[in-house]
Amino acid sequence: MGRRLPVYLLIDTSGSMKGEPIESVKVGIEAMLSTLRTDPYALDTVSISIITYDKDVKQVLPLTPIDQIQMPEIVTPESGPTHMGAALEMLCRNVEREVVKGTPDQKGDWMPILFIMTDGKPSDIQLYNQMVGEVKKHQFTNIVACAAGPKAQTEPLRLLTDKVFQIDTLDSTTFMKFFKWVSGVIEEGGKSMGATDDIALPPPPDEVNVVI
Amino acid sequence: MDDKLHNTPDSASAPDLADRVVDALAARKISTNRPEALDFIDWMLKRSWADYQKDCMDIRIIIMNRINGLDIAIANGTKGKPYASAPIKLPTDIAFDYQFEGLEEIGLKAVPGEEEGTFTIEGTPSCAGDFTIVLKYKYDGWLEGRDLLERRIPFAVNADPREIMEQSQKPTPTDIPYFKPDRVCEYVKVEVAPDGSPRKDMVAASVRGRSHGREGRPRDDHFQISYDPSSEWYVMAVADGAGSAKYSRKGSEVACTTAVDYCREKLASNGDFKTIFEAMIAFYHTATDEAAARKTLGNGIYQIVGNAAFQAHKAITEVSKLMPDSRQRDFATTLMLAICKKFDFGWFIATFWVGDGAMGIYDKEKQTFRLLGVPDEGEFSGQTRFLTMPEIFSDHAALYKRLRFGFFDDFTALMLMTDGVSDPMFGTDTNLNSIDCWNDFWTRLQTGFPADGIGGVDLSDDNEAAKDQLMRWLDFWMRGEHDDRTIAILY
Repeated sequence: MGRRLPVYLLIDTSGSMKGEPIESVKVGIEAMLSTLRTDPYALDTVSISIITYDKDVKQVLPLTPIDQIQMPEIVTPESGPTHMGAALEMLCRNVEREVVKGTPDQKGDWMPILFIMTDGKPSDIQLYNQMVGEVKKHQFTNIVACAAGPKAQTEPLRLLTDKVFQIDTLDSTTFMKFFKWVSGVIEEGGKSMGATDDIALPPPPDEVNVVI
Repeated sequence: MDDKLHNTPDSASAPDLADRVVDALAARKISTNRPEALDFIDWMLKRSWADYQKDCMDIRIIIMNRINGLDIAIANGTKGKPYASAPIKLPTDIAFDYQFEGLEEIGLKAVPGEEEGTFTIEGTPSCAGDFTIVLKYKYDGWLEGRDLLERRIPFAVNADPREIMEQSQKPTPTDIPYFKPDRVCEYVKVEVAPDGSPRKDMVAASVRGRSHGREGRPRDDHFQISYDPSSEWYVMAVADGAGSAKYSRKGSEVACTTAVDYCREKLASNGDFKTIFEAMIAFYHTATDEAAARKTLGNGIYQIVGNAAFQAHKAITEVSKLMPDSRQRDFATTLMLAICKKFDFGWFIATFWVGDGAMGIYDKEKQTFRLLGVPDEGEFSGQTRFLTMPEIFSDHAALYKRLRFGFFDDFTALMLMTDGVSDPMFGTDTNLNSIDCWNDFWTRLQTGFPADGIGGVDLSDDNEAAKDQLMRWLDFWMRGEHDDRTIAILY
């Protein structure tokens, strides 16, 4: 197995995402996979994991090479809390387990990239704040957070990263553009492998606002 | 025309449905007439037809739900690569005559398995993209003329990374600062000794990585090899400019040329240093007090090889000052440097190494191998140290650790290579220390990659064609390994 560029997607599946929003996210992720499947770097290196979080946190897609990914089922409950803290907890655990660190016998993976998307705010704020610290102990090349829709709060996300982006509507056109951009970020990561600094983010589409 | 005119005498005389309804009702003591019976038939047909349709629909939906609920996952294919899916098992009790549509267009077909209702999707995908395979089937209760039921199954065909990679190579623009050609090679032929015995030659090649080519970026690697016939010293350097540093192609060039020129001058036959240094080498070889002699020789090596590296570091600083809006780290590069000479008591080799890659001495006859330093590897891929980092020279003890020397009766090859070669060929640091892996590598150099139409390198004495063979050899294909590749061999 060659060295991988691990990409973690944390997707909010709380009740408010039910219906068009989550369907739009799925369309967006599929478009992203489709783009990455035609990129030689991505095909060679990118592995993606998807973790969904509502009241439960599930790794619906374990870290899988891009050429083997089959889009998993993503479902949303009727209602309930948004356990973002628990999602970060699972993320840290999975990164610890799945991302290969370099040893004399094994080349390490590239430093992972994290995308986190929410349309609300963490319900488990205490755990969330605690886990932000844990996430920072792990080395991510880039953490990109997306606050989607009018109810999404950017403040908790800004604890996690300075790269917080906002999209106003939860429709498929917007998510398509967002994930298209995400695939650009991943491709950039694949290209600049070897750089230890933050990889440069390509300019976001018009629908995506940078939170300053 | 009225249909009745065409009726045969028999059918004309037979009672029609309306008459029979009138009779049947009369038998139940219900009196009606023909118009009323006709109206009743009409009413009954309409109502029952609706019920019937609904029942049929219910059955269809039940069957459709069952088929749609089947866990059918068709693994992704790759363009141009023979493909066979896992068997798809479909029920035979509720549906039949399964057909798959949308396969032929992409070079695939559904092959029925031995067991009824099983299929595999086979073939070689002819194009990449996202496709939909439509599974059509007849269901229990299906009648001629009715539509088939269908299930749409997404199917992804990955692009062939090699094809995209090779099609998307762009030339390096010649108007960029510090332009360098994408491919270079060199052979340094050392004529046979006066006594007629062969003397070792040097061959080196460097090619731009496909990842650079895809973006039209220049090659960042560099090498420099030199042999001074009057002093008989060989000097070799290989450097890998950091991919993330914008002028690293110049950094690697300055590192190699400065270090090699410095060593060459210091070791020139008329130089004072050469005389002293060679005396230290001879003294160490015969010394009884190994520790003291080692210290003396160590200082000598520090003076030449360590200093050469330091001169290279400083030269890069100077170059970076001349380039507006640049810092030294924009020229980040690794460096492997080796000086080597054959004395009457054997070969002496001294080296300096900062960064990743591999530098080692290989003896095929004795089945020995020695890595001349420790590659700087980080916890994650791509983290290494560079010649341009100030800490490399700020600590003398640390600098000493980057120096190596050794005496050898003879050897098969001294090799210096950037990680663009060592990563795909060795993979891990453990393999870099394995004689088996070096044996494999040496064989691979000479056999090439027949499957890819890449020949081997004929490393026989004075074979100048080896430089082009080596350059071509560096084009080997390995998944995910598209960095610049540079190798220098003394053999």
